[in-house]
Amino acid sequence: MGEILKLGFVLMAVALLAAVALGFVNSRTEPVIREQQRQQRIEAMMQVAGSLSETVPAEEMAYDTLDIGANPYAAVDESLTVVRFAGPADGPLGYTFIAYGKGYSSTVQTMVAVDLSGTVTGATILFQQETPGLGAKCEGGWVDQMIDKTAESCSVVKDGGGVESITGATITSRAVSESIRDGLETMESEGLFGEGGER
Amino acid sequence: MRLAAVFTNGIYRENPVFKLTLGMCPFLAVTTSVENALGMGAASTFVLLCSNFLVSLFRNVIPNKVRIPCYIVIIATFVTLVDMVMNAYVPALHKSLGIFIPLIVVNCIILGRAEGFANKNPVMASLADGLGMGVGFTLAMVLLATFRELLGNGTWLNVNVLGEAFHNQPLLIAILAPGAFILMGFIMGTFNILESRGGER
Repeated sequence: MGEILKLGFVLMAVALLAAVALGFVNSRTEPVIREQQRQQRIEAMMQVAGSLSETVPAEEMAYDTLDIGANPYAAVDESLTVVRFAGPADGPLGYTFIAYGKGYSSTVQTMVAVDLSGTVTGATILFQQETPGLGAKCEGGWVDQMIDKTAESCSVVKDGGGVESITGATITSRAVSESIRDGLETMESEGLFGEGGER
Repeated sequence: MRLAAVFTNGIYRENPVFKLTLGMCPFLAVTTSVENALGMGAASTFVLLCSNFLVSLFRNVIPNKVRIPCYIVIIATFVTLVDMVMNAYVPALHKSLGIFIPLIVVNCIILGRAEGFANKNPVMASLADGLGMGVGFTLAMVLLATFRELLGNGTWLNVNVLGEAFHNQPLLIAILAPGAFILMGFIMGTFNILESRGGER
């Protein structure tokens, strides 16, 4: 009995020390990580927003945030946050949003730019932890396939859409294309495309 | 003098990869570029040093019956620390090493050295052993990564050395998983040949 208590006590002490050390470092690094993620998001947003117009560079666009509907795939943000971009002289140009798709081993986040007709003009992967060599390939040139897709065509070929899956990573391919499609559909139903762009 | 012997032991005579065949998973997985190999090597060496230090320091306090869980907690703590610090201060490297950072926890080299060396040797020797093993592991990874990056991408540490033409049409297999196994086989074979020749003399 005494020995069991002693063993338990040692284990508890070790775990306690580990927890204190981790808590301390986490409190120091978490704000830095958070700020970095914010910067990355803004950079990615400006990068894809550049595809909305051939004449106006992203830095010269004005943007405001629209908060609409619930995002069914949301893991981080509960709602679908859409940012509307407008040129200095030519009114609204389009939107950017983050699509959250449940992949094979992570929630894949894609930053997407859509023009007023509901056509994707640019996309880039923000975060993924898919299998290296398979799903992780979504980060390369693969995601550029999303360009020119609409809510109708933004699904993998197997499901009748126009997106070629990554070999051996259908789950990741589906996650990315379907999360974008869901975002487009939500925005469509909110009347953000076509004339609604003036909302 | 003895400390130096313990240190060099990990680099050549008991090189964790080529002689003990430990830590194969990160060895094969992250050696797609020299940069990744160096990053992984540094992270593993840090964890090895810290865990060897603590395990050796508490080798008379931790009861034998619960030593493995204690080692695992110690190692996992340091790996999580490295993960958080890298994520905060070197995000690009953290991103390219990805899932392999948390996997340092199950790198057999680290538990192997805690169990095989640190828990029966004094602190200074354990630190020398951790450093030697870490450096040996890093050098082994850099060696394989050199071949893989050169053949598979035409570059070394992101610097183009084999010319633009090769860079655009490289031996892609070297950077893919099969290339890792094939090249590792060649390197190990070379080591064994050198070894056996040395023995005959």
